[in-house]
Amino acid sequence: MITTLLIIHGLLAVALLGSITHQTASTVWPAKSAGNFLVSFRGVSAARYTTTNIVLYVIVAVLGAIIYPAYRLAVRPFLESARLLTINGTFELKEQFVAIGLGMLPLYWLVWRTPLDPKLSGARVAVTSLLCFVVWYSFLVGHVLNNVRGLFGR
Amino acid sequence: MSYSRVIPIFAASFAVIYVLAVEFNWAVVTYHPRLGEWEWLTKPAKTGPAMYWFGWLITSFVAAGAISLAALPITGRWTPPVWIGWAVPLAVMLGFVYLLRSFFLR
Repeated sequence: MITTLLIIHGLLAVALLGSITHQTASTVWPAKSAGNFLVSFRGVSAARYTTTNIVLYVIVAVLGAIIYPAYRLAVRPFLESARLLTINGTFELKEQFVAIGLGMLPLYWLVWRTPLDPKLSGARVAVTSLLCFVVWYSFLVGHVLNNVRGLFGR
Repeated sequence: MSYSRVIPIFAASFAVIYVLAVEFNWAVVTYHPRLGEWEWLTKPAKTGPAMYWFGWLITSFVAAGAISLAALPITGRWTPPVWIGWAVPLAVMLGFVYLLRSFFLR
């Protein structure tokens, strides 16, 4: 059961990662015209990603919360016994960053509310970039931890 | 009166209360994963570890919601700046990096 939830958690995290990266790229570095792959990647209608990103963020966080006790009982003791202090610390940061991101979701919705307020363009860049960082950081840490025995097992 | 005006206050207060909840262990609930038991408020570990993260989240949501509601009348004549809603959480995130530095500095 936990393994199934972990896989769903990871798959939805991939969807969120792609969705919020598209939105961030098109917000921070808007495409002026059609062009190659990179330009097309940035040339999306950023506001359309907002609701999906909020829903995905909440679902991924809830799934993470459900599987968290299994991590606490099985993975963290391994990290402590193997003295993988840095890896342990990266997860401690992840749980705090994800929580702060949850508290920012209403603001994220506000700055992306349509019709877009031009006065909030700076806030859109800041809020979206910050959430994008949280999602990327969490994904990478989760991915490393998922493979921690293979990567760092002794 | 617009509820959306208090959203930056909610985001900022959530982040501040969250870091305080973690530092002072203000958890509304404690979960004992080995036993599968929930308890109200902060309780010490029994058999196996105790988990407070869920409790810190609830503390932060409830307290930030209460602060936002309390601030609602003020926002009729004063619009809170939107930047506090991302600058304060960013500062708190950097604060967590500092607080958890012992994991990375050996």
